[in-house]
Amino acid sequence: MTIDLQALVQPDRVHKRVYTDPAIFELEMDRVFGQAWLYVGHESQVPNVGDYFTTRLGREPVVMVRHTDGEVNVLYNRCPHKGAKIVPDGSGSAGKFLRCLYHGWTFKCDGSLLSVPLRSGYEDTALDLKSPQYSVRKVARVASHRGFVFASLSEDGPELGEFLGGVATSLDNFCDRAPDGEVEVAGGVQRVIQRNNWKIFFENLHDTIHAVATHESSWRAAKEEYEAMPAGTPKPFEVVIVDGNGEPLEFWEKLELKGYDHGHGFMEGIFVPPTDPVSLAYVASLEASQGAERANEILRVNRHNTIVYPSCSPHTSFQQIRVIRPLSVDRTLVEIFSFRLKGAPEASFQRTLKYTNIVNSPSSNVMPDDLEAYNRVQEGLASDGGDWVSMHRAAGRDQPLPGGRASNGNSEMPSRNMFRTWAAYMGVQTGSAE
Amino acid sequence: MSFNDWQEQQDITQFLHHEARLLDEHRWDEWQRLFTPDGLYWVPLAHGQTDHLNHASLFCEDALLRSMRARRLDQARAYSQQPPTRTVHVLGNIALESRSEGGCVVRSTFLLLEWRKTDQRTFGGSVLHTLQRGDDSALRIQTKRVDLVNCDAPHEALQVFM
Repeated sequence: MTIDLQALVQPDRVHKRVYTDPAIFELEMDRVFGQAWLYVGHESQVPNVGDYFTTRLGREPVVMVRHTDGEVNVLYNRCPHKGAKIVPDGSGSAGKFLRCLYHGWTFKCDGSLLSVPLRSGYEDTALDLKSPQYSVRKVARVASHRGFVFASLSEDGPELGEFLGGVATSLDNFCDRAPDGEVEVAGGVQRVIQRNNWKIFFENLHDTIHAVATHESSWRAAKEEYEAMPAGTPKPFEVVIVDGNGEPLEFWEKLELKGYDHGHGFMEGIFVPPTDPVSLAYVASLEASQGAERANEILRVNRHNTIVYPSCSPHTSFQQIRVIRPLSVDRTLVEIFSFRLKGAPEASFQRTLKYTNIVNSPSSNVMPDDLEAYNRVQEGLASDGGDWVSMHRAAGRDQPLPGGRASNGNSEMPSRNMFRTWAAYMGVQTGSAE
Repeated sequence: MSFNDWQEQQDITQFLHHEARLLDEHRWDEWQRLFTPDGLYWVPLAHGQTDHLNHASLFCEDALLRSMRARRLDQARAYSQQPPTRTVHVLGNIALESRSEGGCVVRSTFLLLEWRKTDQRTFGGSVLHTLQRGDDSALRIQTKRVDLVNCDAPHEALQVFM
């Protein structure tokens, strides 16, 4: 059966099948995840020669590994001999070279074949050990931006910098916030399974108006907790990051949304100079290293979720990257990496972990109601109760930006922007939503 | 290390059984009162994790966070608790690990059946209770550390206390 993709995506609404049809999911793996630059990991995860970290790009198991020349390579985790995954899932050190567990073929950390047992057995056979097909295949393209490693499974397409466009500034600010100008992955990885299509999660990242409705249980619990404290108690960080979801719709409307080509975007926060001791000590450390003026410039870049479509969402002010890995049409893995700002006080990193424990952990008080909403959407979309999913809010009101568009915080511009990109990857003409 | 006598073993066993029952019956307020004011409820993310401040956890909750969780679970619009999670704890292998002034560390193992909506999940692992005797001579929890055998697996939402 051929799929008429053209009929499924319109500028301001999409057909439910884009979330529910396993055949469309397979096409996405080929066309979206087979073309886009995908976040692999951070260079600090493989600090030494032979260090490796495995992940999944679309359907492909890959390994990020540091070679003896210091370069970070991204290889298909597949032995060219019998096909076994060469390194086990996870991270560790392979030593100076990769050695397959099955027949002991060995490879340099750039994938090139080093040795095979019983070499003489291949003499006068059609198998040419010098042929690249007997080295571990590299992914088509690898590039890094400030230590964040991306890969594309396609030889063709824009360079990484052009691809990132306006959201490169989020990755820059992520690092600039470190007094030493660098970050490193630390403190473990939390992993959450969602029972929903991956696109539902991406759309939620910039859906401001769900917060007051969906998160009522957690923002009310936080407000009640604070009200039970003695009058005049400074509002604890644990309360601030949860009760904020109870802000009225007018609050969210003022947070400007930016959408960039290739589906990316970010949400501008409202700059509130922090006054608690942990924040003040951090600001002092940044000022000491960068000077007050530069520190102020860095901290004024105040963003909530950034979207790097279709693979990750960095949070610049709490030093997290959520990595989104679609598992099937209705199942998605989200991995949450925390980063240490090099040169910042230890208390800043502990606050990063507090944020991830409270907001992003599987045990978060905030997230279960999101997961419940995503799952009810997934289940509802499977019904015959309707065919279309609306993205109409504030359509036609976007303001042009270089390389993108801006809208108020309550617009569904980000969803329309992502689907415009999705349609381009999938080979569909959508016309204009502007 | 072993219990001093049958009575001590009995007291501690009954305490752990009571604690598990409070959780299974959603008696969150009574459960919270079992903790010392500085008590910590901790479910590490990594096997053998030694630090709850410089490493992420599955749960890392002081009195404030335990209270927020309990309040949330009971909200009318806790959509992820429609229907509520049901659990049953089965405890075993209760042993005294160490003794200190006014307290002791007790290790136990547990199986936790959890049901919600469509699926039954199984969790299991070991628990370290650091217990203190208060002025009223009642046992209080200073730390409850729950080491899941699958702590580092991808999880769906973990909503209720383990």
